[in-house]
Amino acid sequence: MKIFRSHLLICGGTGCQASGSIAVKQSLVEEIEKRNLAEEIKIVETGCNGFCALGPIMVVYPEGVIYITLKPEDVPHLVEEHLIKGRIVDRLLYREPGTDKVIPTMQDIPFFAYQELRVLKNRGLIDPEKIEEYIARDGYAGMAKALTEMTPDQIVQEVLDSGLRGRGGAGFPTGLKWKFAAQSKSDIKYVLCNADEGDPGAFMDRSVLEADPHAVLEGMVIAAKAIGSKHGYIYCRAEYPLAIHRLNIAIAQAKEAGLLGKNILGTGIDFDLEIYQGAGAFVCGEETALMTSIEGKRGMPRPRPPFPAVAGLWQKPSILNNVETLANIGQIILRGAKWYASVGTEKSKGTKVFALTGDVANVGLVEVPMGTKLGTIVYDIGGGIPKGKKFKAAQLGGPSGGCIPVQHLNAPVDYEKVAELGAIMGSGGLIVMNEDKCAVDMARFFMDFCQDESCGKCTPCREGTKRMLDILTNITQGKGKEGDIELLEEMAAVIKNAALCGLGQTAPNPVLSTIRYFRKEYEQHIRDHRCVAAVCSAMFKSPCQHTCPIEMDIPSYIALIRAERLDDAYKILLQTNPFPSVCGRVCDHKCQTKCRRGNLDEPIAIKFLKRFITDNHERPKIEPVPVTRKERIAVVGAGPAGLTAARDLAIRGYKVTVFEELNKPGGMLYWGIPSYRLPRNILDGEIDDIRKLGVEIRLNTRIGKDIPVAQLQKDYDYIYLATGAHKSQKMNVPGEELKNVFGGVEFLRDFNANEDKWFKGKLSLGKHVAVIGGGNSAIDAARVALRLGAEVTILYRRLKQDMPAAPEEIKAAEEEGIKIEYLVAPLRIEGSKGKVSAITCQRMKLGDFDSSGRKKPVPVEGAEFTLKVDSVIAAIGQVPDMSFMDSKSGVEINKWDCFNTGNIYKSRTANPKFFAGGDAVTGPDTVIAAIAAGHQAADDIDAAIRKANNEPAYAKPAREKIDVPLVIDEETVETPQAHMPEMNVEKRKMSFAEVELGFNRETAIKEACRCLRCDAEL
Amino acid sequence: MEKKRVPLTIDGKDVEAKAGQTILECARENGIFIPTLCHYEKTTNVGACRVCVVEVENARSLVASCCMPVSPGMIVRTNTEAVRSAQKMIVELLWSSGDHNCLTCEQNGACELQNLVYWLKIDKPRFEIEPPGYAIEDNNTMIQRDLNKCVLCGRCVRACNEIQVNEVLDFSMRGSRAKVGPAFDADYINSSCVFCGECLQVCPVGAITFKQAKFAGRPWELSKTRTTCTYCGVGCQMDVFTKDGKIIKISGNRDYGKPNEGSLCVKGRFGMDFIQHPDRLKKPLLRRNKNEELKEVSWDEATSFIAEKLAAIKKTGGADSIAGLASARCTNEENYLFQKFMRAVIGTNNVDHCARL
Repeated sequence: MKIFRSHLLICGGTGCQASGSIAVKQSLVEEIEKRNLAEEIKIVETGCNGFCALGPIMVVYPEGVIYITLKPEDVPHLVEEHLIKGRIVDRLLYREPGTDKVIPTMQDIPFFAYQELRVLKNRGLIDPEKIEEYIARDGYAGMAKALTEMTPDQIVQEVLDSGLRGRGGAGFPTGLKWKFAAQSKSDIKYVLCNADEGDPGAFMDRSVLEADPHAVLEGMVIAAKAIGSKHGYIYCRAEYPLAIHRLNIAIAQAKEAGLLGKNILGTGIDFDLEIYQGAGAFVCGEETALMTSIEGKRGMPRPRPPFPAVAGLWQKPSILNNVETLANIGQIILRGAKWYASVGTEKSKGTKVFALTGDVANVGLVEVPMGTKLGTIVYDIGGGIPKGKKFKAAQLGGPSGGCIPVQHLNAPVDYEKVAELGAIMGSGGLIVMNEDKCAVDMARFFMDFCQDESCGKCTPCREGTKRMLDILTNITQGKGKEGDIELLEEMAAVIKNAALCGLGQTAPNPVLSTIRYFRKEYEQHIRDHRCVAAVCSAMFKSPCQHTCPIEMDIPSYIALIRAERLDDAYKILLQTNPFPSVCGRVCDHKCQTKCRRGNLDEPIAIKFLKRFITDNHERPKIEPVPVTRKERIAVVGAGPAGLTAARDLAIRGYKVTVFEELNKPGGMLYWGIPSYRLPRNILDGEIDDIRKLGVEIRLNTRIGKDIPVAQLQKDYDYIYLATGAHKSQKMNVPGEELKNVFGGVEFLRDFNANEDKWFKGKLSLGKHVAVIGGGNSAIDAARVALRLGAEVTILYRRLKQDMPAAPEEIKAAEEEGIKIEYLVAPLRIEGSKGKVSAITCQRMKLGDFDSSGRKKPVPVEGAEFTLKVDSVIAAIGQVPDMSFMDSKSGVEINKWDCFNTGNIYKSRTANPKFFAGGDAVTGPDTVIAAIAAGHQAADDIDAAIRKANNEPAYAKPAREKIDVPLVIDEETVETPQAHMPEMNVEKRKMSFAEVELGFNRETAIKEACRCLRCDAEL
Repeated sequence: MEKKRVPLTIDGKDVEAKAGQTILECARENGIFIPTLCHYEKTTNVGACRVCVVEVENARSLVASCCMPVSPGMIVRTNTEAVRSAQKMIVELLWSSGDHNCLTCEQNGACELQNLVYWLKIDKPRFEIEPPGYAIEDNNTMIQRDLNKCVLCGRCVRACNEIQVNEVLDFSMRGSRAKVGPAFDADYINSSCVFCGECLQVCPVGAITFKQAKFAGRPWELSKTRTTCTYCGVGCQMDVFTKDGKIIKISGNRDYGKPNEGSLCVKGRFGMDFIQHPDRLKKPLLRRNKNEELKEVSWDEATSFIAEKLAAIKKTGGADSIAGLASARCTNEENYLFQKFMRAVIGTNNVDHCARL
């Protein structure tokens, strides 16, 4: 045999071919010829390597270096560098998503490292069109053993003992199926292979056939001996031309080699097989329909019994096994049932191949032991969800299966667990869905598929799936009705129970499973016409507007920026938002996460554009609104929720008084957010506008102390409690009581109240400060501490990608020189003379997934370390401070120290005089959520008053009609989001001046032009 | 030899079935009613409509009683809540998927879907009625097809393929767009259909109807008379339906058994116009001389004339100058007598029959 110094294994699977691997191979051949390396280097075209999304793939042996997304033009350089000079070409290597770490060798890439290859043991290693290469990897040895050393009974027993279950989806024990067929008496029997893989998103069988067709043939010959068959068929869908091509070659080669056909291996056993091409009906994957189709009839299922083992193809005993099942057989016979059963779970043995696809970084083919955690498949092998999105659910079993949501990422994937969670193993399609997928729309998609693929024979499937689709379609279009969910459930139960074949019986699964896990989403669609994923576009104008808690008319103000009509743009902002210049700086901009432009390149900088309007145009002048209503309303807390409610109520003619304990209004906007993010004059301006309407803000007045709650109740008709969440959570570690241990919000409040003392050093954190936590207030505290001259270390118990803080805040903190230690948790704070001297921390590692889909940090035993610090700021979360409330008020406070609301009106408490909203109800949340709560409270209070007075409901005055130009560019060129200019790092570290400088006119217009105007109705 | 008996329980009643019998057959034998729609005796049990579902203890789901063979010790329940709710849902789905307007439907009163709706006590379907909107096929003189009323039970397909073996009908399309028809979506008249009308006879609803009978009489207004088909010597048994002494339509009847087992051909089923046609010959006509008009005469006169002429021809030209041709529309007995007459009276073997042509 010729020896080569290097083997280049270029993937020739359908995926890689589609991304151009044949052209790459061609240029490799030419380059190797040109450089006279043909005698030293061999090029092999293999079957699917599995890393499909990154194709064309090439692996260089003996080093095992893997090159990804190759293009023909990369080849000369690659040959020159790697094969002649021996230098690995860095730029063509794999980079780990998230960390960007370069991993040169295949086995070190987590995608491959976590896999256990049995069915796919030859993938990407052998040329599937050469039988010798298969034989060299123990190919046909299992068959030889079965044919020469084993009786049919022994073969059946071995397969039974292995615990192998049908990989087509139903999981029926393969050995048992064979046993029944073996017992059937008939001179003619058939061995059938089901390669009619039709689930959307599934491509396991195709890859096996393309990469290792002989493994399937070997399995079929063994099966033939086991049941006494002489003839077989492979039913392969015609849409798999490459698989059929390679199968044909494999059959011809096996016949030529005496491994198929008459007198196999001289044992006197005959077995011949042919390929039957399916015409693309999903139902033909059902066994009786498949057999009917081979018989030349319309592929429709027939009732069982009789079962195929008794009367199958042409009424003769037949077995039908899936490609993956058969590909396991050779090795089970060769290496024994015990070996096979050594991996897997109690009732699900061996490995399972999954086609991993959807919203996951590493789309591809993976083989893992049964019982591998879903989270391991999605995150470790799959590389997690791209673009920092959240995992929502994984669909298993395609249109017949169900979804497994985020709270079950720790679930071991085997037949039993998957069924328990309402999905099915299916043939192995595993579609990962991120937060941008709508549960109802997903159910609708799969139901559309099923009703389209229903053969039409039985009523429940034919008519039932169509009606379910109609209902689902209505729900996604905002036309859902009360009772629809229940009707869907009832129909699902009947269809599952009464349909003729597996297609119909499983068709309702995606609906049932999404109702089980995402019922709330269905209800939101039906009742509120809301799609949290912003998918169901019939219900909204644009995804950004739909996602904004106060439904700001984003497309309009962006269009008006483009038209340079900032006056009108500002009016649009104020239609829904009393704090546009604040939100232009500190909003968490959920709108941007759903921006359609983000699917192309990056979302529009909506937040910055909003700020651009408020920075560059005068605030519209505010006229006082006369008091026209007799009811007097008190608002407790001058934060964004309270002030928004006060403003809305004042506009409706109410006399509103806002009570604020501290000496400045603004709530967290003033006391929690540092001025380098939100300059004070900006905030003051917008609060002044609310005052100008006639709202009275009484500062330095604490309800419960300066004015008792009972007094307030007497003086005012309705009271809105919007007191926020201003108390830091305790860490519950020893030493927390020491001096210079602060809560995050307490520190920021203290700083804001006593700026002078802090600046002049009368108050000091000392030289070294540790901040505990990973949210925005931890970053705020850290950056303030830094500006006070401290060296700051943030201690966070998880990883960077898990931090709740805004990524741009984390980046800014790092730029300013703040050190962030990940995977650490505080153990105890040490001190002397009542003062902090050090903090001892525990190193953590990531364990199982928690219900939010993040990995739970667990201690690394014995790994402790101590940091010398002078202060500790614990910013691990806030809770409302309810000590002001009077227990006799009748207002309920729940176990999270929040107000309970929802007494007929969303924001009303158990006492009908009291309404509540904002962080005091939800716990710490965003500014925009507080503004939304304020709007809600104003609506509710007004509605309650009018109801009590028997007045008609409030009719909002018509909004000023602002003509919004619709300019849509013909072409869209990929352009990243405009960069926000920032103050120089060195300068800003010394100052509380605003860091972000704002867009200039050119940048803003350019950015506004990026908007795709998906609000347009054409 | 009596087949092995299989003991089982249906609705709490201990019964015995023959091995290989279906649950439905056994229930019917024992007077237990299970509704059906697609089921049609002497054709394959397809289990398509799912109206006949029953509960079988320890089964994974409901089972279609029409195609589930009995097994020893089986415990069957035909009237549980799950069964009824499935049956109702199925019938509602069928109802709402078509144009089941009984006001004008020829099948009104003899419709199996109507009976199911009534038996299951369904006031109205929970789904909006959405007929598919197919054009009514009305371009032949015998069969009208309105696929908007089709419930896709497949009886016509089985009747065409299994009973008559004409192999004209099958399903096409998929899912809710599935429909029945000849190949390439052709009309009956443009297909290989021979208009035996078997499809019409088995259709449980008003999708395939007897065109000549349209608006001619409601099922309950018709009286039924058993008779033998007059078209050929097979002697097919059939029912003639009349109203006010007028024939409205003809149908086969499975209960009559041999020779036709309830099937008919195009002539027997649709060729009935002549019976009451004004042009029908009821008395002999005679033309004595060449250029003379035909004149109505009595039977005696007619037969005397024939006898005279035949005797004269035999005398001058010999017996073999006479040939006799009998009709397939005569009975076997009449044909026997005819050949006897030719051979024994005329004295020739020149006798033949139209069915041999």
